[in-house]
Amino acid sequence: MKRTIWVIMFLCLGTSCNKWLDVKPQDGIIRDNYWQNKEQLQAAVIGCYASLLDNSLVQNLFVWGELRADMVAATLNAAIDEVNIMEANILATNYYTSWAPLYRTINYCNTVITYAAQVMETDKTLTQQQLDAYLSEAYAMRALMYFYLLRSFGEVPLQLKATSGDGTLEQLKKSSQQEVHAQIMKDLAFAEQHAVETYGNVITDKGRITKYTVYAIEADAYLWMEQYDNCIAACDKIINSNRFGLMDGSAQAQWFNSVFFTGNSNESIFEFQFDQQKQNPFYFMFGAANNRFIGSPRVMDEVYGIDLIDATKKDIRGDGGSIRAADQMIWKFAGASSGTTMQVRGATESYAHWFVYRYADVLLLKAEALAWVNKGQEALDLVKVIRDRARALVLTERTPDPLSPVDVSSYILEERAREFAFEGKRWYDVLRNAKRNNYSYLSIMLDMVAMNAPGNMQQSILSKYRDVRSHYFPINQYELQADKLLEQNPYYQ
Amino acid sequence: MKTKDSLKRLIVFLLLLCGWGSCKKAPIISDTSDQVNIIGYLEKNKAQFSDLLKILSTTGDNGFLSVYGAYTFFAPTNDAISAYLKATGRPSIDKIDLQELKDLMKFHLLEDTLTTPSFSDGKLPRLTMYGQYLITGASNTGGQTRITVNRQANLIQSNIRVSNGVIHVIDHVLVPATQTLAQTITSDPKYSVFAEALQATGLYDTVNILPGNNPDSTKQWLTVIAESDSVLAAAGFSSYAALKARYCHTGDPKNVTDSLYLYVRYHILYGIKYLADIVSNTSHTTLAPLEVVTSKLSGLTVLINDDVFNGVHEPGVELDRNTSDRSASNGVVHSALGHFAIKVRNPVPVYWDVADFPEIRNLPAYYGKQNYPFALTNMPKDITVPGPSAMTYTVGGTYVKGDFLAIPLGGPGRSPWVELKTPLLVRGRYKVWICYRTQKQSGSSNNVNQISIDGEPLQRSMNFTVNMPISTEGEMESQGWKWYTSPASNNWAGRLVGTIEIRTTDRHLLRFTTLQGTQNNNNLDMIHFIPQDMDQLYPRFMADGTPVPRP
Repeated sequence: MKRTIWVIMFLCLGTSCNKWLDVKPQDGIIRDNYWQNKEQLQAAVIGCYASLLDNSLVQNLFVWGELRADMVAATLNAAIDEVNIMEANILATNYYTSWAPLYRTINYCNTVITYAAQVMETDKTLTQQQLDAYLSEAYAMRALMYFYLLRSFGEVPLQLKATSGDGTLEQLKKSSQQEVHAQIMKDLAFAEQHAVETYGNVITDKGRITKYTVYAIEADAYLWMEQYDNCIAACDKIINSNRFGLMDGSAQAQWFNSVFFTGNSNESIFEFQFDQQKQNPFYFMFGAANNRFIGSPRVMDEVYGIDLIDATKKDIRGDGGSIRAADQMIWKFAGASSGTTMQVRGATESYAHWFVYRYADVLLLKAEALAWVNKGQEALDLVKVIRDRARALVLTERTPDPLSPVDVSSYILEERAREFAFEGKRWYDVLRNAKRNNYSYLSIMLDMVAMNAPGNMQQSILSKYRDVRSHYFPINQYELQADKLLEQNPYYQ
Repeated sequence: MKTKDSLKRLIVFLLLLCGWGSCKKAPIISDTSDQVNIIGYLEKNKAQFSDLLKILSTTGDNGFLSVYGAYTFFAPTNDAISAYLKATGRPSIDKIDLQELKDLMKFHLLEDTLTTPSFSDGKLPRLTMYGQYLITGASNTGGQTRITVNRQANLIQSNIRVSNGVIHVIDHVLVPATQTLAQTITSDPKYSVFAEALQATGLYDTVNILPGNNPDSTKQWLTVIAESDSVLAAAGFSSYAALKARYCHTGDPKNVTDSLYLYVRYHILYGIKYLADIVSNTSHTTLAPLEVVTSKLSGLTVLINDDVFNGVHEPGVELDRNTSDRSASNGVVHSALGHFAIKVRNPVPVYWDVADFPEIRNLPAYYGKQNYPFALTNMPKDITVPGPSAMTYTVGGTYVKGDFLAIPLGGPGRSPWVELKTPLLVRGRYKVWICYRTQKQSGSSNNVNQISIDGEPLQRSMNFTVNMPISTEGEMESQGWKWYTSPASNNWAGRLVGTIEIRTTDRHLLRFTTLQGTQNNNNLDMIHFIPQDMDQLYPRFMADGTPVPRP
């Protein structure tokens, strides 16, 4: 009998006592064992960059930057949420109002920022300078993400601490636009000081954050807040470095190949480097037979213009540059070659980079800032540089009065549409110009909306855009449920 | 024995231990949904909707609104209802006639679930249960935009999904229009001359019937484009007498051939068309037989009869956004900012170069230079094929402007038909000539087509592979052939396919339907519409497109 008891008791114990007390996962590494050496630190930073290649992140950046503007048209394959954004019917249930992909990257950056200093304790080969350089990448990336959020949502919660587990989840309130902007500038100030000038090879220089990336983000963010002198100073740091230049546009095929097909050109400052292993989602958006987006008909008719008599005269950024005129395919991301033979990228070739900043952007940002500090002629000279490179047609040339800032900057806005077509900048450009001087130029946006809206909704859509609160997205329903301190943006309440 | 007892106890204890923790009661969900329905939602928010609930229980609508269904309900708040009572001078809800309350509630209800993304500038896609349309829009006051309903109420809260539909909360009660089109116009002093014309022509009665009582289903809903006294005065008609003097040529405005009668009928469109509907279509039939009003949206303005005719732009008349879109119980009234009437036009010939359209002109690398194969996905907007084949813009074989369209037609692998939208054709009788380059894809190829215009087949078929029989001009014309090129070429044939009565001055649809054979090389260059009493053989056309008149 006694034996039976023992047997039973033994059975009860036997199955379950192997590793009861050892709770570390078998298939991964935990934080306490990480952050030991500088290789691990580097891996963590590279991980932040890898998160930028997330499909939904670039998709959001494209949708946020283009759909509400006038360069893109939806095909019949576009999703209802996409069409609703184009028709100004944006609800908190819309898929694209989810900011999760950006906050995911922010959290990776926060993790690096929080734990990187630990490495110094265990790895004596890591210098303070190296550590700061890694940190500056995380700070700059975080700033870039918050800058996208600021321009898309206006007020967003500022999460600056790493969320490493359920226990560290925080309920956060929205911060004001000024607070978000101040945080961005603060992060950039650190990054500017400690970022490297070069990593020693071209590919890394274009795919990781350098000092010049930081200056470019700064220039853009200063311009957004209408701090023109600061913007000009930041642009000048890039221009005077003599590290960048515009790619020659005399042969369109070559120009397209180096700037857009392969990427990492001398003109590029920062790109999300998709490759054959990690492709972008653009094939299904632009290149496939059932693509969801094409260029709007006005892109060829009005933005680039068509020389009806001489087909050899064309803006290299138009047909074969950003768009294929024959079927309005978004060539910048869907094209494999340009010039005389225009081939489409196949399903396995969809690795066009996402161009965050190019040298042309710096020149035009500077031009816009110059226009508003009464240096209109200098601004027009910069525009001419861009136009000459691109062989822009005479019919898109304007001669604004250099003394009228609004005329000059409207011309720059037109030029930016040509130069950065489909690069996810158009809506932000229009919004920046419309909101300038306390929304003195709302008509810029209303004119654009009126031309683009479907006839039977034009009046409603115009009324909606007249309410400036509608220029920012609503907070996604899911976020409101998860964070009880968040308040829906007033327009959408 | 003792050990055995304690042993038993131990076993029981161990078994209990094993069983412990696993016998909590699992909650059983007996409802399919915990969502409330429309009435449930209103009851949950009594502070806002107590008056509305009272009305619904008086009218008995709370019954069907609390069970399964798919409704859209515009729910006025207590404030809205008290404002309505105040405006109509009634002390409380009980003092309102039951039928009136029922009608009022029906006007707030639609038998479909409509969320704000389906709202436009015009009417909602469904009738309310009352039988009148609601219109939506958006208005901006003090920098804030709200969605409006029927120009009477703003949405305070939208798209509240409940189990049996959607609720939109509104800040004013929606009141249906009580006046018919006729009453709306006559009661407005602004339209006194137009109203008098309406009376005199007897058309007052036509626009004074409620949809439910109208035996003619095509005229249940109508749209009137009225001209105000000031518009008429600006056009030189300061009174009805002046208008009558100008138009009434028979002396009897009730006569169906009288021009005044037709003038008024030309201002009445079939169907209920808000401005949003007007700009969604390019032409609208009017009560004047076979006369259409064309429309377009130019920037922000709605224009009617703004046409390019024979290369000349005829400026149109603007519809005033502020005073248009006035709902009546049987339609809608718009206000024109200019005087317009039926244009008398005599038929003019149209020599239509089918290979000249905006889509190909926008491709300067191709237009006039090289072939461009269209795909089904990027066909020009005025040419339609059902597939599988599309067409090729072809250059190099010369004739008119050096180009033509090669349209594969016929059996498997090729489209069975192709449809082209013609330029504007003036009402009248035309002879229709198909001008093509004769070509056989292979020795046995054949391609016989029937031509139809707006679905009406023409008398004679044509075959893209048949060469013209060459004899004298006159002999050939009698057999339905002509040279249309200059210098005359026997390879480029003009084939008469028949005479057609074009009934409305508008753009029409011309279709080739292949009856027999199949091939790719159906080379269509031009189509001539020549009024039947005019010279059919000239002008001919040079390769650069210049017309050559009869020598």
